Amino acid sequence: MPAHPHLLGNYVPGSTPVHRAPLWSKAVLLLAIGILTILLQGPLERTVLLCVAVAVHLLARLPVKRLWMSVRLMWFFLIVIIAYQTWVNGWQDAWALVAGILACIFAANILTSTTEIQVLLDGVVKASRPFERFGAHPEKFALTIAIMLRSIPFIVGAFDDVRNAAMARGLERNPRARVLPVVITTVAYARQTGQALAARGLGDDQSPDAP
Amino acid sequence: MEGIAFHDASVTIEAPSGPGTTILQPTSLTLDGQRTAVIGANGSGKSTLLRLINGLLLPSSGSVTVQGLDTSRQGRDIRNRVGFVFTDPISQLVMPTPLEDVELSLRKRHSSPSERRAAAMEVLGTYGLSHLADNSVYELSGGERQLVALTSVLAVDPDILVLDEPNTLLDLRNTQLLQRTLAGLRQQLVMATHDLQLAATFERVLVVHDGAVILDGGPEEAIGFYRALCSDDDRWAEPAGNQS
Repeated sequence: MPAHPHLLGNYVPGSTPVHRAPLWSKAVLLLAIGILTILLQGPLERTVLLCVAVAVHLLARLPVKRLWMSVRLMWFFLIVIIAYQTWVNGWQDAWALVAGILACIFAANILTSTTEIQVLLDGVVKASRPFERFGAHPEKFALTIAIMLRSIPFIVGAFDDVRNAAMARGLERNPRARVLPVVITTVAYARQTGQALAARGLGDDQSPDAP
Repeated sequence: MEGIAFHDASVTIEAPSGPGTTILQPTSLTLDGQRTAVIGANGSGKSTLLRLINGLLLPSSGSVTVQGLDTSRQGRDIRNRVGFVFTDPISQLVMPTPLEDVELSLRKRHSSPSERRAAAMEVLGTYGLSHLADNSVYELSGGERQLVALTSVLAVDPDILVLDEPNTLLDLRNTQLLQRTLAGLRQQLVMATHDLQLAATFERVLVVHDGAVILDGGPEEAIGFYRALCSDDDRWAEPAGNQS
């Protein structure tokens, strides 16, 4: 698999106020946008939320193209949603729905783009410490987040690679040639990642003394 | 204390119906030398043999022990002592940058973020990789990636290092770089490789063929035997259509 450095979730170094802001404040922003998206369902309110997310993105001096890259995997579904909602409920509801989705994605992107991953992991560990008494494993939570952030761009890359391979063979219109290899690649990737983690003893910390 | 010991260890892949396939015949041997190479054709069982060492794979019968610990019962302890390097480093590197990946290895040892970062930088410096600390792992060359993967494993200072064809994806320059790094390590090394020149630098070489260790000896004897084996094996004979 070729390199796919344009990663959603990749930290973009910087010294803007957003970069310097403590992790909890960015987590609150994300949570607030998520909750407000549920509570405020009108197109105007959702547009304001979207504008807030874009404004913070620009304040963090993140490249504008990252906005597109964070949603490029789902553009097809967004178009389907817009088309269906416009047909059923009208364009205003369709826009409200899509604006809410975009606002949440952009807010999540701000968090991961302006926070070093180790800071993020330490934050997750700290936040999940209270749940240890219920059997939670904070380090495993953090590891799960790290794996998730690593996996999304890899899967996006798999789509790109498979599309190119299908085009090279003249199969770009064959859904099976476009989807099946991605599934197989993703499963193989998951297995490799699992083996690599096991080999490094990551995730072993609180597990029973078994392989 | 003994190093790595296989006690009649075999691996069989169960089939839904039928007897299953044996990918490693019952094997008994002890690896206690400093540097052991494992050579053999693709699919011969090299990786299976290596994966038994740190419990990535458990024997279907028999047992494997490392420093007296059984891989079937004490896998966690063994993985703290045995580092494993895969062929493709990108599948091994979990974090986006070398610094963060080494930090991930050190999370168990250093809870303080600042201490962890300093320790990670020190480890990268030890292996001459400080200048790559903040690069994306996706933008490194194959050799650099493999060295970063190796460094992430060495960060926790294992006693034994198992490497599964670490130079298969590397060009000559990067192979030599890797070779120089490996030469300076204190760890006991067990490495599968197709690179016979590299294998020749090891003290001991195992030849694996059809799921069995068929020769265990010095590099000259083992490599000569393997070359002869490849020459004699019908599977490598020239296809009839190509014969002049």
